[in-house]
Amino acid sequence: MTLFRVALKQQTVGLIAMVIGGVLGGVLNALAFVQLAGATEPERAAFAQQMAVLGAQLSYMLPAPVRLDTLGGYLEWRLFGLMALVFGVWAAISASGSGRGDEERGLVEQWIAAGISRARYLVSRVAVFAAIAVVVIGAMLGLILLSARGEPLAAADLLAMGVNLFATTLCCFGIALLIAQLVATRRNAAGTTAGVLIALFLVNGAGRTSDVGPIRWLSPFYLFERSRPLTGAGALDPIGVGVLLGAAAILTAVGVVAFARRDLGGTALPRRTDRHRVTRSPSVDPLLRLPVIAPLRQQIDWVASWLIAFVALSGFMISITRSIVDALTSSAVPFLRAYFERAGLNAYDAFVGIIWLSTATLLLSIYAITQVASWSADDAEGRLATMLSAPISRTRVIVERLATLLVAVALIAAASSVAVYVAAARQDIPLDRGRVALAATLLLTIPFAFGSIGQLVAVWRPRIAVVALSAVAVFSYLVQQFAPLFGWPDWVANLSLYTLYGTPMSGEVKWSGVAGLVGIGVVASILSIAALRRRDVGA
Amino acid sequence: MRVARSMKDLAVETSGLTKDYGNGRGIFDLDLSVAVGEVFGFLGPNGAGKTTTIRLLMGLIHATSGSARIFGLDSDRDSVAVKGKVGYCPGELPQFGGWRGSEIVTYIAGLRGDVRDSAVTSLAQRLDLDLGRKYREYSHGNKQKLALVLAFMHEPALVILDEPTTGLDPLHQQEFYGIVRDARERGATIFISSHVLSEVEHVCDRVGIVREGRLATVSALEDLIGMRAFRVDIDFADAVPVDRLRAVEGLEQLEITDHRATGLLRGTFEPLMDAIAGTRVVGLTSREPTLEEIFLTYYR
Repeated sequence: MTLFRVALKQQTVGLIAMVIGGVLGGVLNALAFVQLAGATEPERAAFAQQMAVLGAQLSYMLPAPVRLDTLGGYLEWRLFGLMALVFGVWAAISASGSGRGDEERGLVEQWIAAGISRARYLVSRVAVFAAIAVVVIGAMLGLILLSARGEPLAAADLLAMGVNLFATTLCCFGIALLIAQLVATRRNAAGTTAGVLIALFLVNGAGRTSDVGPIRWLSPFYLFERSRPLTGAGALDPIGVGVLLGAAAILTAVGVVAFARRDLGGTALPRRTDRHRVTRSPSVDPLLRLPVIAPLRQQIDWVASWLIAFVALSGFMISITRSIVDALTSSAVPFLRAYFERAGLNAYDAFVGIIWLSTATLLLSIYAITQVASWSADDAEGRLATMLSAPISRTRVIVERLATLLVAVALIAAASSVAVYVAAARQDIPLDRGRVALAATLLLTIPFAFGSIGQLVAVWRPRIAVVALSAVAVFSYLVQQFAPLFGWPDWVANLSLYTLYGTPMSGEVKWSGVAGLVGIGVVASILSIAALRRRDVGA
Repeated sequence: MRVARSMKDLAVETSGLTKDYGNGRGIFDLDLSVAVGEVFGFLGPNGAGKTTTIRLLMGLIHATSGSARIFGLDSDRDSVAVKGKVGYCPGELPQFGGWRGSEIVTYIAGLRGDVRDSAVTSLAQRLDLDLGRKYREYSHGNKQKLALVLAFMHEPALVILDEPTTGLDPLHQQEFYGIVRDARERGATIFISSHVLSEVEHVCDRVGIVREGRLATVSALEDLIGMRAFRVDIDFADAVPVDRLRAVEGLEQLEITDHRATGLLRGTFEPLMDAIAGTRVVGLTSREPTLEEIFLTYYR
């Protein structure tokens, strides 16, 4: 019972974050359906027709739409298609923590020394995660049901969807748990698993429009998608759910066995012999001695991965621009057309600006969150105290961290903007070079604001920094998405950091918003400096 | 307790230094002076306040009241200037994950800006530390060696070491004492915390003993030698020669249970060995008493 309680305590932050995120996403999408689809039958039929066209263009991301004239069909397409990935990533983070994080902190060694078997330790973690997943999914579905406002949505159908989502989440947990046995650190485990899950998500997306062969069966998202309970009277695909649960059980069991057989601190893979020459000298790498560059040099692989992924994603988004814009501008629903116009989605170049910059701002804020996680770890793992034992000020620590973040983001944004410009030219979509450069430059304001807020929280309460900053990102995303839909006033819309960035490629540059982002960054940085100077380090 | 010296002769000076964590935890009203060129041992049991004091000296934590000065500079207000003169080995080793030892050294050297590569190499050689390995692959002892390299590599005027021999094998402990002596010879001041009396005997000129957050005494090392004692356990095959043992000079806290005698022996072993001569001893162990046991004897 003690093991269970400790595991529960460690999952509290994830539980709260997922309940808030899941509930907000579920409720807002349920409420948005009525706004988008209209109230009359013809309006809904037209809405369904247009969304089906749009859905075909978004097939790389969302499942094929079915019965979009109903709330169930809309949620199945718009919400749960992505929720499977969101829950999968949550499972990956949690499993990486169970499979590696506790070990890095020396907790596993303590448990084993106390007579707890490795299998029992890990099984307790799996059980706690499963219990929490039930609570999160239950809360989300319950509030969606309450938000349905008279729309025909059966509780039994939602329950079946919950079972399907639960099975998918457990399967992703199993994948992550197994991967955690194959790599040496929590960060590598979480990163590798996130990469694997996104790849499996894209494999399923590709399989919607082309034949990818039996490899699609490897994707838990395909297995999830085989069941359409909200449009199929609550029916679950027995093969899909069965394979998900079976895979979850097998992967978890293999993960537990691998954990039981491997060395603590090692991996389940055969260890390569380190044949380096014994050296007594410092590294000759001059970059390690330079302010700002040295921290960047230490994470060069990480930055390079982001840069390559950004360039690839930019090229892909531009490649689908024409077909999506054509689908959007042919909408027969007046409200929908007005919505797309308000969002600036009615011209190729404007759409490039919207789709590229909205994705870039979202991803760069995630990049900033990963950096904040690293800064929090600096404190908890004693590196900050070591740095401060050198003759550098606490102010420099704060400024250097932000400078490092901005240099990395500048590299990523520059590469991405070049990729966008070249890909657009190949698609005969003329872009204003100056606008692209300006938009890319202004991208720096987003990670600056996020990084500064994260820095402030990391100085104040390192343990909650990542969760708090993620909450800011989710809140900003939801406000940006739903403010134009519900006609919320500007001051509400401007609570979103993404809204403050605006749409510098398709419209006038919103300098007040840019100033707001810079102001947030500057104020948060000043407060961070003051807070770090006042607080104890390493106590 | 304070040694009267002019400020310019003092490497470390604290005045009423207090860090109160509540519930009696922390360090209270610490008045301490360490002269330039001195090797000062800061002794105390676990939880006595040694690490808190060291973190205050390093400016890592802020005092509740009082002040600490390093070479006349306020350790809190002037912490950047202070750390330019100080080398620091923390009690809790940081985690550097997949970095190689050589990269860590270069990175910290970059932050300091006053490190000679030859000094790093010399220290790594003396401590037999392979800087080519990844930090996470280092044993605890090797991590400790790296922390010592980082503390000494810039040849600081003051080296503050928090239980620096933890994890070092006896051979490298001796090498460490040699490094401390060499640093003293070039004029450096050493402030070294420990919970083992015999450890500071090797290198220290003076020793301060802290207990439950308060400085109990500051003594020259030779004064402390008088405190040396051994906890002795003797197992006899036959009856314990109680009367002969009670007559042994320097044997205190004598306890007899069945065939076993236990006590605290001061001075030499000779009177004790004479007393048990002719008896059938089946076991005899002696060990250095813990600081807490010394406190129970001297500062009850």
